[in-house]
Amino acid sequence: MNQSRGQEAALTQLAEQYTQETGVTVSIDSPGHADYLPKLQARAQSNSMPDVYSSFAATDMAPFYRAGWAMDLTSELDGGWSDNFSPTILELSKFEDGNNLDVPAGTYTVHWETQTYGLLVNPALTDINLDDSPATAEDFIEALSAADAKFSVAASLSPQLIWGLASNWLSDDEIEATFKGESSWESEGWRNAFQVLVDMKDAGVIANDSLPGGQDDNPNVESAFFTQATGAIFDASPGVSVGLRTNPEFEDYFSIGIPVVDGAPLDPRSPGVPGKGAVINPKGDHPEEALAFVKWLTEPEQQSVFAEVGRILPSNPELLASGTVPTQLAGFADGVETMQTMSTTFTTDVKTAIVAEAQRLVLGEADIDEVLANIQAAQDRSA
Amino acid sequence: MTSQPVLVPTPRLKRARSGGRPLRQNLVGWLFLAPAIALIGVFTITPFGQAILLSFQSWDGVSPETPWVGFANYEFVGSDPIFWASMRNVLFFGVVGFFLGNAIALSMALAVNRITKGKTFFRTVFYLPGVLSVVVVGLLFSFILAPGSGVLNRLLEIFGLGSLAQNWLGEPAIALPAVAAVFIWFHWGFGFLLFLAGLQDVPQELYEAAELDGANAWTRFRYITWPQLAPVTSIVSLLTLLAALQIFGTVQVLTNGGPGYHTMVPTLAIFNEAFVNYRYGSAAAMSVIFGGALVLLSVLQLAITGRRSRA
Repeated sequence: MNQSRGQEAALTQLAEQYTQETGVTVSIDSPGHADYLPKLQARAQSNSMPDVYSSFAATDMAPFYRAGWAMDLTSELDGGWSDNFSPTILELSKFEDGNNLDVPAGTYTVHWETQTYGLLVNPALTDINLDDSPATAEDFIEALSAADAKFSVAASLSPQLIWGLASNWLSDDEIEATFKGESSWESEGWRNAFQVLVDMKDAGVIANDSLPGGQDDNPNVESAFFTQATGAIFDASPGVSVGLRTNPEFEDYFSIGIPVVDGAPLDPRSPGVPGKGAVINPKGDHPEEALAFVKWLTEPEQQSVFAEVGRILPSNPELLASGTVPTQLAGFADGVETMQTMSTTFTTDVKTAIVAEAQRLVLGEADIDEVLANIQAAQDRSA
Repeated sequence: MTSQPVLVPTPRLKRARSGGRPLRQNLVGWLFLAPAIALIGVFTITPFGQAILLSFQSWDGVSPETPWVGFANYEFVGSDPIFWASMRNVLFFGVVGFFLGNAIALSMALAVNRITKGKTFFRTVFYLPGVLSVVVVGLLFSFILAPGSGVLNRLLEIFGLGSLAQNWLGEPAIALPAVAAVFIWFHWGFGFLLFLAGLQDVPQELYEAAELDGANAWTRFRYITWPQLAPVTSIVSLLTLLAALQIFGTVQVLTNGGPGYHTMVPTLAIFNEAFVNYRYGSAAAMSVIFGGALVLLSVLQLAITGRRSRA
């Protein structure tokens, strides 16, 4: 069961190839990104889980892992399979003892994609060029303002934007402590991160003075960028593959990493999130065949098909090092080495709260203090 | 001497206790009703019972364990500001759908009922929105109401009304009315068709008699059309009200409850609680509270409109 629209073509192509090579038939069911989780839940409730299914954010997948719908792949990875993945991706996929999602220690997913976050910039609309791109967030806002260009971020991606910006002030351990509820959301680092959003709003560079919402908010933001209606957007690296599908002729754009904030003590780092990957159902009818297929899928040859057809960053270290990364992906690729490595993430309550509160902040309905208090309340509620 | 009438005893028929109909006739009726009763039992009553049970349990939707937690879910929902904000928002949808939605549907039906040519055309055009999928409607209006490149703002600019252009789905004060307007457009066809059918059932003699008495248009509507439409109005208003209160797809596609929580509705809050937050227990508690409110409201409205129909 596949969640990704951007990688459906590559996955289908590889499944057909696998059938030809081994005689094992692989059926791909792609319900779409919005329906994926509800359908997966329904499959679990009706005891008809697929043999292999897409992994998603750890928070969303944790109930499936806790309920025993995922094979622990630790021993398989220790047996040599781990060579196919970068150490960072392996680290991000691992659940440590005592994690905040109550998942038994182990590794339940493997990933053929490395996902980082950053900005996509259209030089024609922003007068910002890759060679002399702004060094700081302040310069970036100024450049957008000078060109009368607009920046957009989907409400549903605002948590990742804030997470990335906060890394200018907070170490990975401090961020992780906040996610676990051991440290307050009302600390200076998170406050400063939201302040960047306020600065953008005050400079008048946020498109339509609001963060777009709705079920398809990020696809709409991406469409606006790839059809050259918006000058710059915040997005995840798979956005580039969406661009390839949305407007293949539009190639004149580039990506840059999380912006540096002037005077902040740390170098900003992309939120560490494993990209697309697979979970194997140990209670299915074909666990061994499923494991063999996923192993094959993550071999360098197959990963390169995903990278070329879907225009994504592979998770194989050699491919990442040797591959010629297109300009559109270069900024995202630069973030791989320094990306935050932690096995925790937002709870769903906190994520939902940030989405709504970031919208309210940009609309001027709430100040940063109120926003942080509400996010902390959401954290307390999900404790 | 008057003769007394002779009472001849008639053979007693076995009668059922209710309605005084023969038992066999009642049995036939129940047999016809049995499939519907079975379906309602399996697909409505049983899930509602399960939801009530689940509202006292904790379940993530995936695990086999469903521990009993008593009233904890109700306490959680009681202190959840998002759910109660959604209840306030849905009242707005209810009021707008009930009054404005029905008024528009009735006006359109009255207009189409009066014309002699093109009745079929207008009947089709007015009903057309109702045949579309809610997702299609949501996406369609996403394009129309988009702030930058949306059709509506572009049209306003073309006609020199650029100052009226708005961020229709992003401004807190406008988002809720904008979504309500989409809802009305999507649902008016249903009410329109029923009102039109009701109007065509009103006997023409009543209007002719009223005209002879010198009644003007308003008087004819007030004393003939409106009372004659009472049964139709009852059912249309009830169904429109319930549809407005159960709004989900339109909101999910257009705003997903945003900006902030300004367009959050109970159905979406319940969906998020179950499928996003994996808290089926509190989602069930929300469902019970919301479902109970709908049942009460329906009973109340049927009592009021029933009294009007009998008057």
